[in-house]
Amino acid sequence: MFFLGKGGVGKSTLSALSALYLAEKGNRVYLVSMDPAHNQADIFQKKISQKPLKVDNNLLISEINLNELVKNYLKQVEDNINNAYRYLTAFNLEQYTTIIKYSPGIEEYALLLGFNDIVSQFTANYFIFDMPPTALAVKFFNLPSLSMLWLEKLMQLRHEIIKKRQIITKVKFGKKETETDKVLQQLTTQKEFYNRIQNTFQNENTTFVNIVVNPDELSYSESQDIISSLRNINVKPKDIIINKFIKSEHIEKSDARFAHLPIQYFTQMNYPLIGIDTLKRCLHENYDHFSFL
Amino acid sequence: MEYRDKKNAYNKIINFIKDKWELLDQSLRTQAVDVIEWEYEELQHIFGLLVLGSFIGLPAPPMQITLDLMPAMEKELLLMLEKVDTAAGPLSELFSLLKIG
Repeated sequence: MFFLGKGGVGKSTLSALSALYLAEKGNRVYLVSMDPAHNQADIFQKKISQKPLKVDNNLLISEINLNELVKNYLKQVEDNINNAYRYLTAFNLEQYTTIIKYSPGIEEYALLLGFNDIVSQFTANYFIFDMPPTALAVKFFNLPSLSMLWLEKLMQLRHEIIKKRQIITKVKFGKKETETDKVLQQLTTQKEFYNRIQNTFQNENTTFVNIVVNPDELSYSESQDIISSLRNINVKPKDIIINKFIKSEHIEKSDARFAHLPIQYFTQMNYPLIGIDTLKRCLHENYDHFSFL
Repeated sequence: MEYRDKKNAYNKIINFIKDKWELLDQSLRTQAVDVIEWEYEELQHIFGLLVLGSFIGLPAPPMQITLDLMPAMEKELLLMLEKVDTAAGPLSELFSLLKIG
């Protein structure tokens, strides 16, 4: 389950409340903060790290350290390159990986690796992901599709290259080449990885994407962009959650704009939602509102 | 004696023909795949440019695809470096391949 939306709309709070709701219902829940702002530590008033921490019955929380993930990934790349090109070990590749970590695409890939690590290493009835603000979240969802497009084209070209090589070796040496193409192997491995993740994102039975908005034009507008971006990659959002909704002040005109998706309303609370006791109080005061989960 | 001499001479002739034949065969095979080999090299070069192009300012795949492929792309990297030398005279390479001039 993912919570997406503009910065400051209440994704973290709603993720926390949803996690508590599902945990109280007897589900094993793992809440993961993917947002570099890492608000869950402030919300739960606990020191949270990459290691899962039990904060309540059936509820674990952790936060992804994006810098650490990027660093580990680039270290792995550096080691692989060093192993492949041993004669380059005189060159200090570390200085280049320091620059590469700022390349476009590395952050969202690191986030994807973090996501993959969590869902493959842990078991839970629900994984709840408190996502970063829109730009990075959308790139996170887009990355598998974009990568698959490139990989398919590269694999087509690679097959052409292998065909030509086989003709050359057959004519020159009288036998077809049977050596495995390492590049094609790597392309195939990558494609399988992205395919698996893309299928996970697109599976409406197991993946639920909730878009959190506030009752203002900017927030509505950004949510429409999110919905459109997700639909382009066949990821169907599940619910729109209008948070900090003040019934007396706001007209429910948002219905028409999101008519195609179920809308849930959460009113503005008049006390700060900090600490597990306060969260539980809020949850029990608004228990019925969470039945959409 | 005579028989042995004749046999030796016969073997020498056969070996001579065999060597010449192998030479001719190798030469013909190489000529037959000359153009295909050039195409093969060019395809590898294109592949290298597509994957590694971001290092020289070309639009390229998401960076992690490039980084994960790099350990297996030594040949393509070397080919790209080689192409830098022939880039000043691509026509001469083509003429040489097509045996013009």
